Amino acid sequence: MHIDWFVLFCQIFNFLLLVYLLKRFLYGRILNAMDEREAKIAARFSEAKEIKAKATEAADLYDKKNQLLAEKSEQMLNEASLAAEARRKELMEKVREEVDAIKTRWQTMLAREKDAFFQDLRGRAAKEIYATARKALTDLGNADLEAQIVEEFIRRVRGLDTAKSKEIRKAITGGGNKVVVQSAFDIATDTQSKIEQALKQQITNGFTIRYMTQPDVVSGIELRVNGHKIAWSLNEYLETLVENLTETIQREAHSA
Amino acid sequence: MEIVGINQISPDQVILWSWGFITINVTILYTWLVMTILVVTSLLVTRKLSTDINVSRWQHFLEVVIATIRGEIKEMAKKGSDKYIPLIGTLFLFICLSNVLVIVPGFVAPTSSITTTAALALCVFIAVPFYGISANGLLHYLKEYFQPNFIFFPFHVMGELARTLALTVRLFGNIMSHEKVIGILLSVTPLLFPVIMQALGLLIGIIQAYIFAILSMVYIASATSAHEEGHKHEEVKDAEFSEVTS
Repeated sequence: MHIDWFVLFCQIFNFLLLVYLLKRFLYGRILNAMDEREAKIAARFSEAKEIKAKATEAADLYDKKNQLLAEKSEQMLNEASLAAEARRKELMEKVREEVDAIKTRWQTMLAREKDAFFQDLRGRAAKEIYATARKALTDLGNADLEAQIVEEFIRRVRGLDTAKSKEIRKAITGGGNKVVVQSAFDIATDTQSKIEQALKQQITNGFTIRYMTQPDVVSGIELRVNGHKIAWSLNEYLETLVENLTETIQREAHSA
Repeated sequence: MEIVGINQISPDQVILWSWGFITINVTILYTWLVMTILVVTSLLVTRKLSTDINVSRWQHFLEVVIATIRGEIKEMAKKGSDKYIPLIGTLFLFICLSNVLVIVPGFVAPTSSITTTAALALCVFIAVPFYGISANGLLHYLKEYFQPNFIFFPFHVMGELARTLALTVRLFGNIMSHEKVIGILLSVTPLLFPVIMQALGLLIGIIQAYIFAILSMVYIASATSAHEEGHKHEEVKDAEFSEVTS
């Protein structure tokens, strides 16, 4: 087995040529491409890491904001609840006040109506009683109601005690020696003189009497002088009647 | 198709053209064929290289091959491994393709010629001192021949020559003998058995390419790393000395 030197050198040359060609067309290019890709991937990884870090940061921030928002919302809700409660109480108070005002108004109105009703009742009752009493007296004893009233008035004047008589005398003197006798009916002249005589006997002389007819003096007669009064009327009986009637109505209303 | 006769031990003996001492034989022809395939494939694949994630299959294949070669070299030469890739990679690719193409009928592996293997071994024989001297300097490289003392110089020289011869003969012997075995088997049992042997031949061819390339790298690495180790020893000695003096 011999070695052809030409072929040997030829093969060495061929191999070296191949090394050169492959270095130029294969290794260099492939290695560059690989290195470039590795660098790109590394850059992408680092970019991804950076983005991830940013994203984490953003997520943390978002979480924090969310938490703050939740806290704020809760706080606002609490505040709103408190405000609503306060407002409710205020409105309730207002409504209560309004109801109270309406109630008071209603009660006032009711009392007024009640008063008017009893006033009216009293008037009517007085007239009816007056008429009935007059008729009864006339039918039974041929007596005059007005005369009986005046009789009762004169009896009261004569029944005054000394102290009271003294007070009235002083009042008559202080009031310019003028006395007003009011009555619901006209008093006859002889009856007037009876009254005058009784007054002079019981109290004093030297005063003038003026007679006035007043329907307000419910079926009665009264003497007014400077703050003092001697009177008889149906009012007392009517007061008792109204009181009894009120009690009866209230009892009926409660039982209903 | 028989190009190299069973009695011809090397394809060098099949001369295609000759003029004076210039001879073109089957070995050179098939060497050129392998070179053309390698260079043309490289040109075609690397013409449109992609540096993105989407890579063509051929580029991917070549990247895998080169990355594997790079990884193997890196294991031995700790730093500056890329400068050995052209030599070691070309050795592996050339020998591997030559041996694998044996499966094509009519192809004669250039590596079955002792001239080719000798040429490759000579390249390694020259490359070892070349890289050694470029890494460590001439003096340091030569100093290694006298380690541990000058008596070992002839043994070092003999070792260098012997391993070059071993590289030559190992590759040549494996490939040539396998071709002969296939030839003989074809004449004896022409059916299935030679197919199995062919498959085995492919395995042997790839292993031989790997061995040749790896051994070459080992030789280069030993020549280049000697200096670094020597330096480390000197640094350790200096440190010890400074400790003692202080």
